Order: sequence, then C-alpha cells, then structure tokens
Amino acid sequence: MANSITIENVHAAYGSVRVLEDVTITVNSGETVALLGTNGNGKSTLMKCVMGIVRPVSGRIVAEIDGEKHDLVGRTTEQIVDLGIALVPEGRRLFPKLTVEENLLLGASRRKARAQIKANMDFCFDAFSRLAERRNQLAGSMSGGEQQMLALARALMLSPRILLVDEPSVGLAPLLVSRTIDAIKQLKDHYQLTVLMAEQNFKQAVRIADHGYVIVHGKIAFEGRSAEELNNNDLVRKLYLGM
Amino acid sequence: MDFPFELLINAVVAGLLLGAFYAAVTAGISISFGMLDIVNIGHPAFIILGSYIAYYFNINYHIDPIVTCLILSPIFYFLGTAIYQVYYLSFEKRGQQSLRGLAFFFGVLFVTEVLLLLAFGVDYRYVATSYIGPSIHVGFVDLPLRMLVPCIGSLILFGGLQLFISHTFTGRAVLAVSQDQLALQLMAVDPIRIKRIAFGVSIAVAAMAGAFLIIIQPVEPSVGREYIGRVFAICVLGGMGSMPGTLIAALLLGVIESITATFYGPSWAPAVSFGVLLLTLAFRPSGILGR
Ligand SMILES: Nc1ncnc2c1ncn2[C@@H]1O[C@H](COP(=O)(O)OP(=O)(O)OP(=O)(O)O)[C@@H](O)[C@H]1O
Ligand SMILES: [Mg+2]
Repeated sequence: MANSITIENVHAAYGSVRVLEDVTITVNSGETVALLGTNGNGKSTLMKCVMGIVRPVSGRIVAEIDGEKHDLVGRTTEQIVDLGIALVPEGRRLFPKLTVEENLLLGASRRKARAQIKANMDFCFDAFSRLAERRNQLAGSMSGGEQQMLALARALMLSPRILLVDEPSVGLAPLLVSRTIDAIKQLKDHYQLTVLMAEQNFKQAVRIADHGYVIVHGKIAFEGRSAEELNNNDLVRKLYLGM
Repeated sequence: MDFPFELLINAVVAGLLLGAFYAAVTAGISISFGMLDIVNIGHPAFIILGSYIAYYFNINYHIDPIVTCLILSPIFYFLGTAIYQVYYLSFEKRGQQSLRGLAFFFGVLFVTEVLLLLAFGVDYRYVATSYIGPSIHVGFVDLPLRMLVPCIGSLILFGGLQLFISHTFTGRAVLAVSQDQLALQLMAVDPIRIKRIAFGVSIAVAAMAGAFLIIIQPVEPSVGREYIGRVFAICVLGGMGSMPGTLIAALLLGVIESITATFYGPSWAPAVSFGVLLLTLAFRPSGILGR
C-alpha cells in the first residue's frame, strides 16, 4: 500500500527570519529521497515542519499512509508519529540515562507498534549486533556510531511506514558513514519504507537515493530525478564535488 | 565489657521497620523530584492530609486507616493531576518553574497546614486499631505491629510502584520525560500527559503514606515539616529517580537513626543521618544507585 509525502509550497520562519521559501518536494511510495544542502540551509527545519515541531507559515504537507491521506500541518508531533512517520532527529536525541533496551522499548510506545515489539527487537539486534551485546548499557555511554545505530533502531521500533533521517553521517568516521548509509538501505528494504534523508555527504547519500533535491538558502535549487542527474549537475559539482 | 548484642539487633530491626515507612514517605518525592524535576516541597502536606482523613473516618466510623487511604488514593490521584495541570500552565509552560514553582508548592504546604489547623486544631490526633498496641516476639526481637503493618504495606506499595515504572510503557516514559521531551514526542508520547499521570501517582502514594504515618505516630498539622529534609535526603542518597536506590537509602537511614537513637539519644539521629548523606555524596555524587 502506498506511503508517500508531498510537501507543497512550504514557507517557514523563526520569528522574522525566513528559513524556507516555497519548498516543494515529493517522496513517492517506496522511494529513498535525499535532501542535500550544506550547513544552515534549512534541511532540519523542513524535517521539523513535516513532524509538526515547526509550524510552516504557509503551504501544505500531506502524508499518505497505507493509501490514506492525512494533512499534517496543525497536528501535534505525537499525532504525526502515531500515523506512522518516524524521525531520527539531528543529534540523535537518545535518552542518555536509559539503557539500550529501555530506549528501544520506548520506541515501541506507539500502539500499533506494541504487537510487533518482539519481531522488531529481534530484527534490530540482528541488524545491529552491537546493540544486542550492549542492551543493558546506558545509551549515553555508547560511542557515536553505536548511538546512531540505536537512534535508527529506536525509530524502527515504532513500525513506521515513512522514515525521516536527519544527517545520519554527522560526527562519524568515513567507514562508519558508509556502514550507516548501508544500514538505512537494509532497513528500508526489509520494512519497505519510504525514506526522506537529509545529508551533507553527497557521495554517500546518492549511493542509496532514487532521486534528490539540493536546498540552498531555504529554496530548492535543483531537483535531480536520478542519481545520475545529480552527479552531473553543475551546482552539485560546485557545492559538493569541488569541481 | 558486655556488648549489648540484643539491644543492637533490636535497634537494627526497629530501624528496618522505620526505614520501610520512610521509603513510602519518599516514594512520591522520588517520582516528582527525582523523575519529573518538580521540587514538590508540599508533598508532606498531602501525607498529613491523608493522615487526617484517615483519622476522621477512624474516630467517626471506625474504618481502618489503611482501608480509608486505599479508597482515597484515586481521589488523591486526580487531585495530583489537577495540581500538576495548574503548575504546568502557570509555571512550567512559561519556563518559570524554578523559583515561582517552589513558592507555589510552599504555598500548597502552608495552605494545607492552615486548613487542617482550622479544622482539627493543634492537638495531636491518633487512630485506634487492633494492631496499634500489641507486638510479636521472635526470640529476643521485638516487632511492634504498629511498625510492622506499615512496613509491610510500604513494601507492597513500593514493589507495585517499581513494577509500574520498569514494566509499563507509561512507567518507562516517566523515566525518560526529564531527559528529553521532544524525543519522547517523537515516540508518539505526550510528555505533559506523562508528567500529569506521574504526578498524580506521586500524590496518590502520599495518601497511603499518610495512613501509615498516623498508625506509627500521633499527628498534628505541621508534623510534615519534620519529614521534608529527611525525605529529600533519602531521595538524593538513593540516587535521583531510582526506586530501588530510594528503598536502600530509606532502610539505611532508618537503621542509622535507630542505632544512633538507641546508643546516643534521639537528638543525635538527624545529625548522623545528614552526615551519612554528605559522606555518600562526597564519594558517590550520583547517590547509591544513581545512573
Ligand atoms: N530555533 C531557531 N531559531 C532561530 N533560527 C533558527 C532556529 N533553528 C534554525 N534556525 C536558523 O535557520 C536556518 C536553517 O537551519 P537548519 O537547522 O534548518 O539548517 P540545516 O540545513 O539543518 O543545517 P545543518 O546542516 O547545520 O544541520 C539557519 O540559519 C539557522 O540559524
Ligand atoms: Mg540540520
């Protein structure tokens, strides 16, 4: 069944500071879409708009979950998550003084996820064996890479249909970045997720993206229909590939 | 010299009985102060309120204080959720909880005391039940039922709370809510609802502690003040937000107070307890079982 997100003409601001201008993005069912942009261009703000953390000044955000359409603007974050949209936020935001297992169980608070706790937990421990070894360790005492794994796993415990990931590569060594990106692909395939991923690491993001958008100063500067198109775009070459 | 072995054992046992009661008195604070970051210095007022209601039904209708407070605890729960809602809307939502919130709870404490004073006067009040006089004797160890019944009640209450915190979705959310509210929202959980429930539970627990209190000792309206310092000390000593830690700290403090009172006199007990608190915090700043 179809799970997609349509963001139409969204404007957003913090007080009088305009951050997003007329942003239109479509994430079709089953796709992985990359939102590319360097620091401060509005990637996180867009994620926050989708999740109801920041309320857009104008524009529409519609999510289709299992074929049913929902207008997201005006809903609370809890309601949006409850529909089946999960965000792995910037900075991961784990519960540092809770154990790995407690963090994962909190992810399953959503009613629809409770029935699948065991299956989801088994899958997470299978996909990230590190988490299984450290299930009783406090989340705050884990390494950056392990924390990113836990943040992803916790989002999966929600049994989402749509997964938003905000800069999964931040603060990770190059080898871990590519592993994390691989993990997102693996999770996406297993759960047949629809994924919107914000990234600065162009090369890694494009590896798993079906298509992508480049955001500059809060505006969509370029839409690449395929990885190919993104790779060959002049703007992308200038911004990310140093050519 | 003849070491007073029997006296020591009796002091330890009396301390454990007292400590279990301290645990019930502290349990509510462990939730509100330890888990929710709400400095509810008014907590003892709700305990005393529970004691007086138990007293009222005991003298007029001969109802057992524990039964009264069991029936009362849902009402206290809703009272707690209402108080949290006022606190949230007036202070927390505006980020003014630290000082004004403290004043608010001081006000709650004060107003409750004055109302009880007007209603019941300054005299000490006590209840009459079959288990207040007698004792059980196990060898040379003396177990007064007046202490044993609240001790068992406290342990059951404590076990129930620990199960709620560690084995339910709501309970785990209570542990998480002071760490990151937005993260909790991203788990589809409303943090304000969680705090409201948890605060309600903390006040419901106060009603039960009130029943135990008036079984253990006669009560007058300001008796709660004796407990404010001790209760926060136990909470910090055990490790903020840890129920097992709170229980261990409460038993420890009970035993220390009892031994001190037996061998050196009751006036030394508070000084020794706070000495232990300071020493523990010097070596283990996060408390006995703090994370
Ligand atoms: N809470 C806020 N209040 C005011 N301005 C904000 C706030 N959050 C973000 N901004 C501003 O909005 C702009 C976009 O920020 P945003 O976090 O969306 O960028 P980003 O693309 O995610 O950057 P990064 O890659 O560094 O995470 C920045 O100029 C930032 O300073
Ligand atoms: Mg960002």
